[in-house]
Amino acid sequence: MNLKDCYLKLGGDFDEVLGRLQRKQTVQKFAYKFLDDKSFNLFEVSMEKKDYAEALRAIHTLKGICQNLSFTKLLESSTVATAALKENDWNKAIDMIQQLSEDYYQTINAIKEYKKSQEE
Amino acid sequence: MENSKKLNPTTRFLIYSFIGLLIFSIIIFSLLGIYMSRKSKKAVYEIGEIYMSGMNEQMSRHFETVIKLRFSQVYGIVSVVSTDKIDKELYEELVYRAQIRDFNYLALCSTEGNFETLCGQAIYPLNPGPFVDALLQGERRVAVGVDAAGNEVVLFGVDAAYPMQNGEKSIGLIAAVPLEYITEFLSLTDEGQLMYYHIIRSDGSFVIQNSNTELQYFFQQLQKQFDSSTNETPVENSVKKFGDALKNRQEYATTFDVNGEERQIYGVPLPYSEWYLVSVMPYDALEGTINTLSSQRMFITLISCASILFMLVLIFWRYFSMMRCQLHELENTRQMALEASRAKSEFLANMSHDIRTPMNAIVGMTAIATAHMDDHKQVRNCLKKITLSSKHLLGLINDVLDMSKIESGKLALTTEQISLKEVVEGIVNIMQPQVKAKKQSFDIHVEKILSENVWCDGVRLNQVLLNLLSNATKYTPEGGVIRLSLYEEQSPKGEDYVRIHINVKDNGIGMSPEFLEKLYDSYSRADGTRVHKIEGAGLGMAITKYIVDAMEGTIEVESELNKGTEFHITFDLEKAATTEEDMVLPAWNMLVVDDDELLCKTATNELKSIGIKANWTLSGEMAVDLVVQHHKKHDDYQIILLDWKLPGMDGIQVAKEIRNNLGNEIPILLISAYDWSEFETEAREAGISGFISKPLFKSTLYHSLRQYMGVEAENDQVANQIDFSGRRILLAEDNELNWEVARELLSDLGIELDWAEDGQVCLDKFQKSPKRYYDAILMDIRMPHMTGYETTKAIRETNHPDALSIPIIAMSADAFSDDIQHCLECGMNAHIAKPIDVSELTRILKRYFQQSYF
Repeated sequence: MNLKDCYLKLGGDFDEVLGRLQRKQTVQKFAYKFLDDKSFNLFEVSMEKKDYAEALRAIHTLKGICQNLSFTKLLESSTVATAALKENDWNKAIDMIQQLSEDYYQTINAIKEYKKSQEE
Repeated sequence: MENSKKLNPTTRFLIYSFIGLLIFSIIIFSLLGIYMSRKSKKAVYEIGEIYMSGMNEQMSRHFETVIKLRFSQVYGIVSVVSTDKIDKELYEELVYRAQIRDFNYLALCSTEGNFETLCGQAIYPLNPGPFVDALLQGERRVAVGVDAAGNEVVLFGVDAAYPMQNGEKSIGLIAAVPLEYITEFLSLTDEGQLMYYHIIRSDGSFVIQNSNTELQYFFQQLQKQFDSSTNETPVENSVKKFGDALKNRQEYATTFDVNGEERQIYGVPLPYSEWYLVSVMPYDALEGTINTLSSQRMFITLISCASILFMLVLIFWRYFSMMRCQLHELENTRQMALEASRAKSEFLANMSHDIRTPMNAIVGMTAIATAHMDDHKQVRNCLKKITLSSKHLLGLINDVLDMSKIESGKLALTTEQISLKEVVEGIVNIMQPQVKAKKQSFDIHVEKILSENVWCDGVRLNQVLLNLLSNATKYTPEGGVIRLSLYEEQSPKGEDYVRIHINVKDNGIGMSPEFLEKLYDSYSRADGTRVHKIEGAGLGMAITKYIVDAMEGTIEVESELNKGTEFHITFDLEKAATTEEDMVLPAWNMLVVDDDELLCKTATNELKSIGIKANWTLSGEMAVDLVVQHHKKHDDYQIILLDWKLPGMDGIQVAKEIRNNLGNEIPILLISAYDWSEFETEAREAGISGFISKPLFKSTLYHSLRQYMGVEAENDQVANQIDFSGRRILLAEDNELNWEVARELLSDLGIELDWAEDGQVCLDKFQKSPKRYYDAILMDIRMPHMTGYETTKAIRETNHPDALSIPIIAMSADAFSDDIQHCLECGMNAHIAKPIDVSELTRILKRYFQQSYF
């Protein structure tokens, strides 16, 4: 499994990210880093605590990372959630959690799978 | 005709009601006039009556006084002359007493009514009956009598018992004065008075008859009434009533017609007599007054009626015309609304056609590509066409979106620092393929643009220029000429501003004056038949106009059908505070060859301003001659600028010729507005040393020429080759991953990066840093503790020497116009959208590094 397949699997735009970051190694490095990023976790916890301001910040950060790494699919759902929180539409944001979580784990799993294939 | 028949119902109602009002007011005023006339006539009659009754009363009093006076005189006689005197003495005494009291007749009356005259002529009362009866009853009484000569006298009879000659006792003493005494006294016969009087007896016969005999008939009737023998003819009602009043000795007033004129008659009984004073007032006198009065009143009434009507007409007319005006406006507005809706539906029809065309291409090409999956060439071709169609479609949709933004007032400008040079170069690059496809010639003139860097919404400026230029290519037939020229002048807004003039001229199909009028209307485009094949939403000019207005610029257009069109735009733009590079080159000799004289002149001017001595010529042949001549004089040109397209010999041929004559030493540069990749090999083979792209900005010339002049080249070639080593940037970013991405990208450029985990840390780090330690700050917006906005505001308010000058660049996932605006309002210099694009970031960093510290 190569990095491009991984991007395909997680619903991202590999060509775009390579165009910007220019080196495959860089992309890979950041993709690995994404596994350790706590933004999504923070978002989930904040939503549970109904701390919507913190949740907005977290999801906004996640959105920024997705933009930087061209995780298009996760970017889309995080964009919708960010907009919902910005407009104080809590219910919509809560409804989005399911979708976000699906997209997030799809991304995480794809990267993990890729990492595993590289280590073998 | 049609129009008058189909009069508006409102107008008809107004006209009818107005006529109704007219008639109504005339009737009301006439009735009022008539009623008032009647009333006043009646009032005048009443006044006449009151006047007459007063006069009559006065008259009867007067009469009474006069008569009483005489009676008292007669009583005086009776009282001083005692009845027991002897006859002769008695009579003498009586006569004497009478004469001194101015009576010229004295008589004694017997019980039978015979008069025994004591002095004067014998007199007989005209109507002795009642007189004697009264005396018999001991009353005093006045009567009229006549003497033998027929002279009328007034008799005053009082009760007195004197012995008469026949031995009887008299019943009364009678004295007399001439009738004139009363008539004069009462002024009964005076002429020229309004009224005249008769005195009649109770049987209607005259005692004193006035000389005026017009009422003879009336009195005849009256007498007839009392004449019992002639009872057959019924008398008039007024006469009868008068007669009754006369009989009952009552006051009575009536009117009587004489020869069609009315007379008022007023009767009052006189005391001490059976007489009746009848005063007559001819109404013609009164009537004259009344008539004048009523005619005056009628006249005034009519005038006031007329003036009120006039006012009404005036008001009505004004109102009517106002209403007409409003209706007219309403109709106009309706027409406009219809027009607009028609334009919109036309636009929809056009749009759906225009959208369908590229959509069809996309759908069709996709189908073809799917069918030929394995044929790479075919697929590539299809994809190329799909890309083109998509771009076209996107353009259309963008236009519609822009327009809807404009119509809802949401189109905001994002003012940033731009380089006019970059904008124009960008546009030229975009336009080249279109111009080339239609084999049009594209001239670009840039004159005296000293302030290349200005504050402006670059995207919108681009949009305006692109729209004008793409219209120019669209509406200019193949082989036409399109010219873009730019020049600047002082702005009336002040020294910090510069006025940029932009001219876009073509020799295309032009526009009719009618079309020019609605050029900037939404959803309009040049008439269908002539430009059927040309696609577009028809929104371009409306958007252009809106943008120009929003930038407080002006746009003018001159166009003639089949001759061409020229747009002239001016903007007052704020100069960007750039430290002007000192653009000076060695005073080399230089030749500019172009068939466009204007370009030659502007280029030589620009060259002069950077220190180069330049000549110009218009044709290739002349250029070769000039070069050879100068060579012979050992005054060679050190650089030659050649236009690629020249009449006769083209640039490449000229270059070959020069190389043949002079060898390869002199750099020859080719000026071109076109993409030179096609002829680059050919040109290089012909001896062209390099290329300069139009437009020829001062900086373009400077940077292109310096590399041939031994001046050290600047390292501004391609972004990635730029070395930012030694620069230090503070990056505020709360997310580690994002921070690492940024560090990865920026460290490639040699930049040293400091990480601030949030806004507060960023602020602290900046405050603790020595002067000029950081070259810029990159700021995330959403961070814990302090947002990017707050941090920026705080930084700008610190006492740090760099607080105001350090460039702060926002880096955010929010790339909406409002967000950008907010960033700038908080004191940030620029905004970069995430994801980080290295070349974009480099461009911006380069600009701010240059600006602040280079």
